[in-house]
Amino acid sequence: MDELSYYLPCLWAFLACIGFSLLFNIHGVGMFICAGGGALGWLCYLLTAPLVHSDIIQSFFAALVISAWSELMARLRKCPVTSYLLVALFPLVPGGGIYYTMEHAMSGETSLFLSSLLHTLGLAGALATGVLLVSSLMRLILISQEKRRMRREEPHGKL
Amino acid sequence: MDYNKLLCLVSEMGYRLMESGAEIYRVEESIRRLLQAYGVAQGEVFAIPNCIIISLTSPEGEPLTQIRRMPAHGTDIYLLEQYNGLCRRLCRQAPPFDEALERMRAIQRTHRVYPLWVQLLAYFLGCGTFSLFYGGSPLDGVCGGLCGVVIGLCLTLTSRLGANLFFKTVAGGAASALAAVGLTALGLGHNLDLIIIGALMALVPGIAITNAMRDIMAGDMVAGISKGAEALLIGAAIALGTALSLGLTGLFMGG
Repeated sequence: MDELSYYLPCLWAFLACIGFSLLFNIHGVGMFICAGGGALGWLCYLLTAPLVHSDIIQSFFAALVISAWSELMARLRKCPVTSYLLVALFPLVPGGGIYYTMEHAMSGETSLFLSSLLHTLGLAGALATGVLLVSSLMRLILISQEKRRMRREEPHGKL
Repeated sequence: MDYNKLLCLVSEMGYRLMESGAEIYRVEESIRRLLQAYGVAQGEVFAIPNCIIISLTSPEGEPLTQIRRMPAHGTDIYLLEQYNGLCRRLCRQAPPFDEALERMRAIQRTHRVYPLWVQLLAYFLGCGTFSLFYGGSPLDGVCGGLCGVVIGLCLTLTSRLGANLFFKTVAGGAASALAAVGLTALGLGHNLDLIIIGALMALVPGIAITNAMRDIMAGDMVAGISKGAEALLIGAAIALGTALSLGLTGLFMGG
């Protein structure tokens, strides 16, 4: 039973992503791809927890998984990656961080405010780095493929 | 070939792509490919989040330029996928201009949006499950969902009035925090912070930060910096709106 409640947030992430994909006007299968990505990312976040003990690094790994999933699905369905990435990343967004930062600022606890601000920025940075790593790799592969194709076609083009 | 018409076509394509939420590099690359497909050897495009500049030189050596100013826009994945698909097809087939423009108009005509009640339901589902996700009780989830609906109504209303992004976010944050305080005072919700955090997920600029970083890494400095500034502004607006409500209710309720 404990095991179940540990993984329950994945279900909530799935449902929440369904809700937000409606808001971004995603229709049909795309909705479930987004939601699947969100749930998968959170599963990865939970699974890496015993290994690294740092939510920033956990977020980074989760972002890697979500990004790879979205890139894969985008290639398969020939759609822009943003469509899936946009919503699937939602569960990782440090919404709580923003709120607690604001709360500490309001109650005038400067050191708590600064530490939660830095932590929030760290989470956002980890997210961006994870996504960037995968998308940069993907672009490198695509560009090299295109170059190879162009080199093959060039002799015909020049004639 | 009429190069003026070509310029109008590619700028319209770029404009519509960006309006539906495409990234900067996608807009630039799509325009570049379109120009190539129609056989323009010398064409340049420069895009930042609120402006697209396209310039090309016709074979007679005549330079042509068009600038499109981008108004504030949201993200519409349905339109983005449609225009992206159309752009791919145009690059492959390079049909006559009128036909291409007609196809673009057809996408606009068949555009589907969810009706308002489905959107509000989506706010309820999304925000409510985020309250649960962060560890709230089922009742907190319901409250978070209701606060999400308040944000949805607030955003729709302020958009109709033509408010800017900053004001919309402050209003949304303030309204949802107010609703959350009200609901907890009524005894429906228990964890005020979890309810507000769940509802705020509808406002946070998560993807704006990621996109800004990506643009900077890709070398689109101006685009990245302006988007990053936007993300920081939204973050500040959320905090400001929420703080406003919490501070005021704290004053009146002696909390």
